[in-house]
Amino acid sequence: MPTPTLLQSIAITLIQCVLVVLFVFVVVPLTVFAERKVLGHLQQRLGSTRVASGHIGVTGWMNRGMWKWGRIPVLSYWRGIPGLLADVLKLILKEDIIPAKADKFVFFIAPALSMVSAVVVFAAISFVPGTFFVFPSWFPGLAGLPVSGGIADINVGLLWILGVASVGVYGIVLAGWASNSKYPLLGGLRSAAQMVSYEVPLAISLLAPVVLTGSLNFGEMAQRMATGTSAWGLVPQVFGFLIYLTCGFAETNRLPFDMPEAENELVAGFHTEYSGMKFGFFYLAEYINMTVVSALAAGFFLGGSWLLPFGLQGLANQLLPAGAWIAGPHAIFFVAKIIFLLFTYIWVRGTIPRYRYDQVMSVAWKYLIPLALVNLLLAAFVRCAV
Amino acid sequence: MFKNEEMEINLGPQHPSTHGVLRVKLRLDGETITHCKPVIGYLHRGVEKICENQTFFQGQVWTDRMDYCSAVANNLGWAEANEKLFGITVPRRAQYIRTLLNEFNRLASHLIWLATHALDIGAMTVFLYAFREREDILDMNEAFCGSRLTTTAFRIGGLREDLPPGFEKMARKFLAKFPTCLEEYENLLSENRIWKKRTVGVAMLSAEDAIALGVTGPVLRAAGVPYDIRKAFPYAAYAEMDFEVPTQTAADTYARYLVRMAEMRQSARIIQQCLDGLPEGPVMAKIPKILKPEVNEVYHATEAPKGEIGYYLVGEKGSINPYRFHVRAPGFINLQSLPKMAEGGLIADIVAAIGTLDIVLGEIDR
Repeated sequence: MPTPTLLQSIAITLIQCVLVVLFVFVVVPLTVFAERKVLGHLQQRLGSTRVASGHIGVTGWMNRGMWKWGRIPVLSYWRGIPGLLADVLKLILKEDIIPAKADKFVFFIAPALSMVSAVVVFAAISFVPGTFFVFPSWFPGLAGLPVSGGIADINVGLLWILGVASVGVYGIVLAGWASNSKYPLLGGLRSAAQMVSYEVPLAISLLAPVVLTGSLNFGEMAQRMATGTSAWGLVPQVFGFLIYLTCGFAETNRLPFDMPEAENELVAGFHTEYSGMKFGFFYLAEYINMTVVSALAAGFFLGGSWLLPFGLQGLANQLLPAGAWIAGPHAIFFVAKIIFLLFTYIWVRGTIPRYRYDQVMSVAWKYLIPLALVNLLLAAFVRCAV
Repeated sequence: MFKNEEMEINLGPQHPSTHGVLRVKLRLDGETITHCKPVIGYLHRGVEKICENQTFFQGQVWTDRMDYCSAVANNLGWAEANEKLFGITVPRRAQYIRTLLNEFNRLASHLIWLATHALDIGAMTVFLYAFREREDILDMNEAFCGSRLTTTAFRIGGLREDLPPGFEKMARKFLAKFPTCLEEYENLLSENRIWKKRTVGVAMLSAEDAIALGVTGPVLRAAGVPYDIRKAFPYAAYAEMDFEVPTQTAADTYARYLVRMAEMRQSARIIQQCLDGLPEGPVMAKIPKILKPEVNEVYHATEAPKGEIGYYLVGEKGSINPYRFHVRAPGFINLQSLPKMAEGGLIADIVAAIGTLDIVLGEIDR
């Protein structure tokens, strides 16, 4: 394979950036849509499961048939799309109001901070270990050059991810503070306490895979986690996954931990005073963060781009014939895991109520941190003893 | 070095969980409520005064608009207060139908309470499930009197019309599926750890305090006082019904939840008995075209879904309008216990407290 020149590697990195951003901005609207649909079906909402019930095309034909039999058709997957489109249109067209006594610069910068920190995390996430694809020979300038599965293949990927992700809390705190309003202030204070608290067990639970594999590089860790650990590693991985997922819900401000924007207490929490696309940025950031948390969970615990989670792939590979398609890493598995975890987010939202603020804090400090520490100890024991 | 101050915050009048236009002035120390004062009157329309300028027949329309979630129960109280004033005996069939519709209304009102209370605590799914069942009850309202929410269901002396054909089938169909619906809500809430954490021991109101404040309804019964006007002073056809008054002793939000859920089961039981034992006969008593009161004053209390709703009517000899009309609104009196429940708790608890009181501002402000 030819070695790329500086210009060529810059071009490749740019292409990778575009691909990742494309992925993010395709997944996020789809998640929003899925949230409507899944919640719609969980809660038997009529709008998102009936609007535009499709009287044209194949599904339209089936729907008409079902109406004729006196059944309510639930077949078309695209039902509810008008609601989504209206939502997006509303966000874009809405007047952008800045409160009179707000700190205008901070008020402006806060949503951007949230959004950027959420997207930048993806730099260190590799979708597939090694080469993702090779440019075909007809491609001008870049023929025959490989594109790796992640943008930045850095050694301290995990540190980068945790560091950048924690900048996101500034967006929320600053938004709450700059609005010069009481409900956002309370929301900002809550989120400062909550997100800082939950970052501790989150980081500790992510340390378990680090200890098991001895690497901080995302791709390498995913690879070793999937195939290289012993069977005893299963226990700390499963526990770590559950702890991580709980913290992930808190970090992304989703139910049951949506304290900063607790709708029924703080009106809309930190983004009460935001409207238009500025609010849209917070909204997007929340969904991108969900994707990030899911991607990390998939990479560190669920085997990343391999089929089986918790290091069971190594076991399966012994049984499978060498070179089987299912035995190798594929980006599609990674994406499928992300999608499954995103579904879990929506599922949980439709099922359980919200914790109270003090209870949220006690869950973190009294239960999750000790559990995560014990889990880390267990992982260290497995690493040394087995 | 640091200045320690309390923050004053307005919960409402525009706020997602004050159930209308209630404004609560809160003083907060961090997130702890040190002082709480409900401010009401944003929905005042002068219903009592308006009724004094209308005939006895016309007044009922205004009772719909007080507690719009339980219009039928309000209508029942109004009709019976007037019947007491004029000494009218209502036919037995009309009494049964009134009881039937009143209990359906209790279900609808409790479903609204469950829906909004659960939503306030973050359980969104129960909200939509409860509204799904309420829809069926509203359909029955529509079938009976053409109106879904503001029903004006009864007339002084009985009913305007008998039950429409097909009503019994609708009611029986609803009764057949309702127990499974209740189980569905309970599966989502009753043993849910988060639900229990948010409700057990929250917004306590002891029996002594409740009695001292005049609190009635499920809030009182959850404190262990088995006071239900349907049992204590039976009206309509309740004397002939076999039902229990569910009570709890914990006096917290969870106990009130359990009491209301049990009440829904009892209501379904009463409806079943009404349907099975519905007597034949006329539905309207013989009454004159123009009503002029004989006695001076009358107070009639009935058990509305939210507590004791009392109608106080003063008649003037020779006049076709009531001289004075006053409503003892359960929501208005129950709301006075809010500071007692909320002070010392957190912001999230006042939301639970407002939800568990089950207030409707239309009735509080009148």
